[in-house]
Amino acid sequence: MVSPVVRLTARGVVARKFRILLTTLAVVSGVAFVSGAFVLTDSVKSAIDNLFEELRGDIDLEVRTTIAFGDEARGERDPVPLSLLPEISKIEGVRLVEANLRRSATIIKADGEPLKVSGPAFGIAWDGPEGLDGRTLIAGTAPKGTKDVAIDKSSAKRAGYEIGDIVTIVGPTGKDQFTLVGLTGSGNTNGGGGASISAFNPDTANDFLGAQDQADSLLIGVLPGFSLSEVQASVEEMLPESIEVITGVQAAKEISGSINDVIDIFGKVLLGFAAISLFVSAFLIFNTFAIIVSQRLRELALMRAVGASTQQIRAMIIGEGLIIGIIATGLGILGGLGVAQGITALFNAAGAAFPTAGLTLSLRTILVSVFIGIGVTVTAAIVPAIRASRIPPVAAMRPELGFSALQRSKRLVVGLTTLLVGIALFSIGLFLQPGGTIITLASSAIGAVLLFLGVASLSTTIAAPASRLISRILPMPFRPMTRSVPGRLASRNAQRTPRRTASTASALMVGLALVSTVSVVAASVKKSFTEQLQSSVTADFFITNLSFQGLPVAFAERLDALDELGSVSPFRATRALVNGEEKQIGAVKPEMGDIVDVGVIEGSIESLAEGKLLLHKDPARDLGLGIGDSLDITWQNGTTATLIIGGIYTEAVLAGNWLIGLETLSQASKAPPVDFFIGAKIADGVSIEDARAAVEKVAEDFPSAEVQDQSEFQKSQEDQLNQLLAIVYGLLIFAILIAVLGIANTMALSVYERTREFGLLRAVGMSKRHLKRSVRWEAIIVSVFGATLGVVVGIPLGVSVAMALPDSFVTTTQIPVNTIVAILLASIVVGIVAAIFPARRTAKLDVLAAIATQ
Amino acid sequence: MTQVASYPAAAALNASKIYGKDDSEVRALDDVTVDFQLGHFTAIMGPSGSGKSTLMHCLAGLDSLTSGRVLIGDTDLAQLDDKQLTTLRREKVGFIFQAYNLIPTLTALENITLPMDLGGVKPEQEWLDTVIDAMNLRNRLSHRPSELSGGQQQRVAVARALASRPQIIFADEPTGNLDSKTGAEILTFMKHAVTHLHQTIVMVTHDPLAAAYADRVVFLADGRVVDELSQPTSAQVLDRMKRLGN
Repeated sequence: MVSPVVRLTARGVVARKFRILLTTLAVVSGVAFVSGAFVLTDSVKSAIDNLFEELRGDIDLEVRTTIAFGDEARGERDPVPLSLLPEISKIEGVRLVEANLRRSATIIKADGEPLKVSGPAFGIAWDGPEGLDGRTLIAGTAPKGTKDVAIDKSSAKRAGYEIGDIVTIVGPTGKDQFTLVGLTGSGNTNGGGGASISAFNPDTANDFLGAQDQADSLLIGVLPGFSLSEVQASVEEMLPESIEVITGVQAAKEISGSINDVIDIFGKVLLGFAAISLFVSAFLIFNTFAIIVSQRLRELALMRAVGASTQQIRAMIIGEGLIIGIIATGLGILGGLGVAQGITALFNAAGAAFPTAGLTLSLRTILVSVFIGIGVTVTAAIVPAIRASRIPPVAAMRPELGFSALQRSKRLVVGLTTLLVGIALFSIGLFLQPGGTIITLASSAIGAVLLFLGVASLSTTIAAPASRLISRILPMPFRPMTRSVPGRLASRNAQRTPRRTASTASALMVGLALVSTVSVVAASVKKSFTEQLQSSVTADFFITNLSFQGLPVAFAERLDALDELGSVSPFRATRALVNGEEKQIGAVKPEMGDIVDVGVIEGSIESLAEGKLLLHKDPARDLGLGIGDSLDITWQNGTTATLIIGGIYTEAVLAGNWLIGLETLSQASKAPPVDFFIGAKIADGVSIEDARAAVEKVAEDFPSAEVQDQSEFQKSQEDQLNQLLAIVYGLLIFAILIAVLGIANTMALSVYERTREFGLLRAVGMSKRHLKRSVRWEAIIVSVFGATLGVVVGIPLGVSVAMALPDSFVTTTQIPVNTIVAILLASIVVGIVAAIFPARRTAKLDVLAAIATQ
Repeated sequence: MTQVASYPAAAALNASKIYGKDDSEVRALDDVTVDFQLGHFTAIMGPSGSGKSTLMHCLAGLDSLTSGRVLIGDTDLAQLDDKQLTTLRREKVGFIFQAYNLIPTLTALENITLPMDLGGVKPEQEWLDTVIDAMNLRNRLSHRPSELSGGQQQRVAVARALASRPQIIFADEPTGNLDSKTGAEILTFMKHAVTHLHQTIVMVTHDPLAAAYADRVVFLADGRVVDELSQPTSAQVLDRMKRLGN
């Protein structure tokens, strides 16, 4: 026999399936978000693992220089001397040794224009399809002659070349012409994933790519029948210090691991937004249950009267939550697969090449989704369940004795305490930052959650007067809402159940508070960035690189030779261990002083030429360093240096915290340098048009370069920030949609509850239109209330976050008035949208049947 | 009925119930002492505000007294906590309300056995059949409340109250929502339950016709027991009520 509690629970869910549907939808979307984040990261990671295993499958061993610290895959390595190659090939068991060399090389198309690529434009050393790096020959022959080149098939096609054509290519050492002898592919594809790859005979590559008898690394293939570890040991034996040999498998793992670290961060960001959606869903679930419980007052009291215990009532309501949780979690996990696919498609459409090889649904994903989906639903049902169990049995006969509401004063105390603890935790996390990133984040996040809960609880107290106020001032340019009967009804209805109004509004409050927070932080970052840029940047041109691969150093050298330009400085970067911490160090010419005013307060920028170090005032203060002091630094290749402090500056926006001269950099790293960007100033007496024309002329040979003047540069930097913001807002929209769903849900439930009342109104002569309007107005009052709370909570949150951000990031705090006004106006639309379905339902009421409803 | 009662099925002793404080104080019950014998059908009557509903709520353990005592059998309700009161309601007391008697999601049979299901007790099949047949519900057992007429719903409610063989059944205006013919039918069923099935029923009503089905009528006014009638007729009841009204 099924226990009556189980039976009642199941029947309860079935009987209220439509009322519960929207709630389920909210949980489904939250869980789908969570499982989608996991499925996406798992799938992409396994695809990347496979990709690199496949691409590097033939490489048994790799010889490379060591790095002293940092990520093995992303570290900047000194090159390996080619002189090692013949020695290694003599080792027993070695089948093949080839030089792995990769330098920038641009293909000039048949029409004379450089070939534009979305990825990097590379030249490599490669002389045969039996090579180790995964390159295949699709047509023609490998480049055996000194004037031969093989190009990846898709680039050759786009450039308009066929085998036998003469191709002009611009490399690090200049321009030259080659005969196209072969078309290549990578693995089983036709190209290099947006890159252009020109393959040269190793000798040609060495000269034309300027490798100077060095390679990025040496790749080794081992003869079958020989033990990999024995060959590795023999290679190891003959290698000089600071050169190592690792297995190809390990190298592949390092690369995929380093990419997967980025994917993991992406996944964590998605999970963060999923958590926000779930938090908002929790309000919706709580609200639905609270309303359903109050609608079932008499039924629950009857059950108590005929002998149901408080535990049985509680178990029944929580059981309903459990059923919804289980159903929604199941659907949510399935939805997660869709979310993962959707996000992949979205990002791929935007140009990111996510490798896809089927979706991975791991046990962990299922367990976490189940735990979260069911946990959130059941937790949200607990308070309504407790309230339900407190319904006295006598309410079966006298419903007016139904609920003993939490005393006002008690609620105020609980709400205020929660709010204050939340603010305290949030501030501790933000400003004191105890115990590292995780504790800081956890403390801020828990603080924010408590803060939201506190505000939600307190908002019950002000819901009624706030609703009254909103209904008075909202339609001010026209007739005040309270002058019309529908308006007055809407206002009174919003006031009569302040608890419901408040918790419905709270869901929207959370979503919009976060939007306001983000918008304040974003506006502040943007403003600070623009201010610093305007006050410190004096360059007329910036040349940046579209593919993030950096610019060949030849570019800056050729710009420097132009008569139209005055000061020119490249910006390079390397990594170093300073005081045990890995830091990025910028490398520039002293001429940079004319291009960016870093605000040198002590010493001089010219000291860079003497091999001295310039640093920002913050690290100078933290390390207690002044002019003339010395600092020990370890470069990534393991060499150490003692640098003298030559200057201290204040503006970090472009320069970063540490600066060295180019000469110092060349001692720090033997890796071929690339310029991240180049700044240039026009020579005296030259017009901006002439100077630009001269710069653009040089840029023609470097197709991935983009020339920008100051305002274009500023705009492109802001565009990047805006793109990031668009993604953040896009993800927050999920939470806001759930909140809208919540308002629609509450309105639908309220309308259901007031069926008889609406019937009466219709009977005494209220038109359908008026009734609909009244429902709509009520939804608008609730959503404007929620939006106002959200903005009121979000702005101070945003200001605190902006203040907590380091000075190098945010110097001026700004409140984006336009955005805030837009949010408030949008909330009116939210109300209208949320009321569509409930209002329609109201209008469909049959008057007589409605009045007969108990 | 051969059983000789050594104590009444339920009793109120010096029962007082006061709502509000000081100036707004309302004495819903004012020192009421009354008992209800086993195997009897008693009606409680009185004008609106006489305290008749309050008396019944307190007798049934749904509400608590300000002072005085209520006994169900030999159990003093004041000594019981919520858990024990719940068990008492489930096992010793049956209820019939004016409306909202049934759980809409359960079938008629499930509604009838609900108190026993809640207590995890298996219903006595023979007694259950007797009750179902007495209430003429055999063909309606698998119906949901929404598929039953008002009279049928109320018969299910009576059957539920009887099903657990409670010591006493409390009925609150059981015919209030029914037309006179259906009401008479329900009262006949209730009377039948007392005379043939040996149940004890206490019914609150303001309808003299309904009260005439009872063995005894207790009149309340202003929170006090003011009169009593044995084996009443509706004319007698009406007459007393008129006098109370004055």
